Amino acid sequence: MDILTVEGLSKSFGGVRALRDVSLSLRAGEIRAICGENGAGKSTLVKLLMGIFTPDAGSIAIDGVRQTMRGPQYAQALGLGLVAQELSLAPRLSVLDNIWLGSADVPVFHRRRDLRRRAHNALETLGAGDWDLDTPVSALSIGQQQLVEIARLLARNARLLILDEPTATLTDNEISRIIDVLKTLKARGHAILYISHRLGEVFDLCDTVTVLRNGEHVATRQVRDLTRDQLIELMLGRPFGDMYPASAAGPDAGQALVVETLNVDGIVQDLSLVAPRGKIICIAGQIGSGANVVTRALAGLVPGASGRVSIDGKPLQLGSAPRCVERNVLFLSEDRAAEGIFHQRSVLENLLAGSFNAHTRFGILDWLQLRRVGARLAQRVAVDQRRLGAAAGKLSGGNQQKLLFGRAIERPQPGVLLMNEPTRGIDVGARADIYRIMRELCSLGYVLIMTSSDLEEVVGIADIVVTMYRGRTVARYERQSIAMARILADITHPVRAAA
Amino acid sequence: MSRSTEAPLAERAIAADAREGMGARAGEPRNYVGIVRAIVLVVLAAVALTTPGFLSQPSILSLLTTISFIGCVAVGMTLITISGNIMSFALGALVGATAMIFVLAVNWGGFAFGLIAALAFAGLSNALQGFLIGWLRANPIIVSIAALALIYGVAEAFAAHGTIYAAAGTSYGGFKGRIAGIPVEFAVFLCVAALGQFILSLTTFGRNLFLIGSSFRAAEAVGVRTWRAITGAYLWAGLFTAPAGIMLAIRYDAASMNYGMGYEYDAIAAVLVGGTIIKGGEGSVLRTLAGALIIGVIQVVLVLQGLRTEWQYLIAGLVVLGVIALQTSGTRD
Repeated sequence: MDILTVEGLSKSFGGVRALRDVSLSLRAGEIRAICGENGAGKSTLVKLLMGIFTPDAGSIAIDGVRQTMRGPQYAQALGLGLVAQELSLAPRLSVLDNIWLGSADVPVFHRRRDLRRRAHNALETLGAGDWDLDTPVSALSIGQQQLVEIARLLARNARLLILDEPTATLTDNEISRIIDVLKTLKARGHAILYISHRLGEVFDLCDTVTVLRNGEHVATRQVRDLTRDQLIELMLGRPFGDMYPASAAGPDAGQALVVETLNVDGIVQDLSLVAPRGKIICIAGQIGSGANVVTRALAGLVPGASGRVSIDGKPLQLGSAPRCVERNVLFLSEDRAAEGIFHQRSVLENLLAGSFNAHTRFGILDWLQLRRVGARLAQRVAVDQRRLGAAAGKLSGGNQQKLLFGRAIERPQPGVLLMNEPTRGIDVGARADIYRIMRELCSLGYVLIMTSSDLEEVVGIADIVVTMYRGRTVARYERQSIAMARILADITHPVRAAA
Repeated sequence: MSRSTEAPLAERAIAADAREGMGARAGEPRNYVGIVRAIVLVVLAAVALTTPGFLSQPSILSLLTTISFIGCVAVGMTLITISGNIMSFALGALVGATAMIFVLAVNWGGFAFGLIAALAFAGLSNALQGFLIGWLRANPIIVSIAALALIYGVAEAFAAHGTIYAAAGTSYGGFKGRIAGIPVEFAVFLCVAALGQFILSLTTFGRNLFLIGSSFRAAEAVGVRTWRAITGAYLWAGLFTAPAGIMLAIRYDAASMNYGMGYEYDAIAAVLVGGTIIKGGEGSVLRTLAGALIIGVIQVVLVLQGLRTEWQYLIAGLVVLGVIALQTSGTRD
């Protein structure tokens, strides 16, 4: 009998359909990958299964019994367990405490012998039987902490493990250990839902794969029946090559932006970078590599950053965002909700934020001119002009992101656009729009520097790739020499780390 | 990008937007807030119009003067609230202190000097608070409470007797009485409100206040000099509050710290009742004007109905709580 049966599951948020009529089932001893673009509905599915959200329609059955998931505690009691994207451990508490933290089984004092034994057994299953249960979790590596997360589920008798991007922050060695552990669990009859962007892991580990796209179930297949390209096509809904517009032709147009010995205390060390106009430069690195801090620092948003930076030979002073913006250096945050969009303000104001001063007469704002310019910007970034007056918070993530690009597109002079994860949480259609806008900015003579944790994207869009590992650059690749395997090797455990 | 690629892009986006729009309109949560608002207004109007004496000349004049004092403070408060700094507890004390500075300065150097001294004091002392909040990112509520204590402490130590009187025969150059039948105070308030709305709608500074209030970090990222704008918001709040103190001093030929007592509360009530959002980024002086009118009507009605001051406080408290409840339920995502 299937451990998990999901039928017709649907969920909307304020008019946006996050999940639509999704059905799937899972046997004991099966590892199922859930694949899909950002925004495909993977997280929503997980949260519905764990009772964090209530479905609008559809049913969830465990062991064939239909259940109403009233909350995470209830889901746990039924044998479901979730390892979330971010670690959820209390660093100062011991391994034992973390394993039992928040469990319904635990009395007020929980040094009881059988709790220790069950925690030990769980760790032993994971090949970590020799660990001291009283070590504080902060003393463990990230990979070991991930094992504690899994042990936590096993100790609570979870039979269906849901792992949401469990390897995103791990090194290669740690990843292979986790994969071994998961294979052991599979052999013991656990069912696993495995959510990952890393297709390599899907093919190494999983038996079956369910592809979601725009909240809908696209396909469920045996992994061995699929090739990597077929899987990508299922995820994208179109041939892989269509996504990215043709790259900039022509030779390097000089050295517009020169960065020397950029330092951010403890995060970025002696980074140097030369960027021409009209090219897209990707800084690739894992979380903690410092890649996204480089862009922030160049935008003047990191107070302690030091280094020599010049644009067209003129020095740029770091540490002040307003001064950088005056030099047409603009920043596009990975955290669109908190650092990008003004939710209550109109689309028009969002497009023109930061450049009101260019549209004044004797210090008085010229609203007619603002409207005109705003309408033109909206058209250029493919946002409906009739929505200029709507609150930006009501737009989809993709449209919001386009507004941020709209701010950059008509600077007095083509400048530098620094982007962190420019397509995070955006549906496929808006992604293609954004890539096209990026190419338009290239043709206008902008310097484009982006970071991305999505290697497919890096390989697809970049003209130049700079790899980073622990705050240092590892290597630089130009168009023809960009290859996913080399980038992946560089950012996970570089052999040729520039000392 | 060439024009030929732009068109299909835009079409696709518009189609997507249309879908989005339809979905968003399906479950609009704000509708009932509007209904509640309309009912409250109708009830208030009915109570006011049926209260004996409400439509008499003295009552209307008293309404206009009440609105003017609260209103000036409320216009200043509007800038602070919109900029995302919630409210200032110190504006009431600033009214009293400005009145005292004004009387002292007028006694020393004449009416014009008094005006300049009072505006300078109110503007600068408030700008200093704004600087602490904008530059050091100090908590605005704490700063305003500290400023409140400081202003009271200094003023009380300074004016040992509590009240300072204007020298006999002081002239205020026509700023006493009425112009064309309306109280001078109300005319001044309308000027303050017009200037406030002008700044908010038609200057870069004003628009930046909305951006900062909507998202401080996003404003920093687009290059808004946030500390300058916040300091400016407090500077203007001080300048807008000052006329309340000056006009009270002119009216009574005296000044005391009691003059502004509780004004900050009435002002924040006016701001919120008007519909400016407490968490910032949304609002206007025109809304505050409407809010001040409603608060003024409530106060006049309570007085005419013969209710004691305690009741006035109670009702004002209920009004603010009600508005906050409505605001949060309307804006929660």
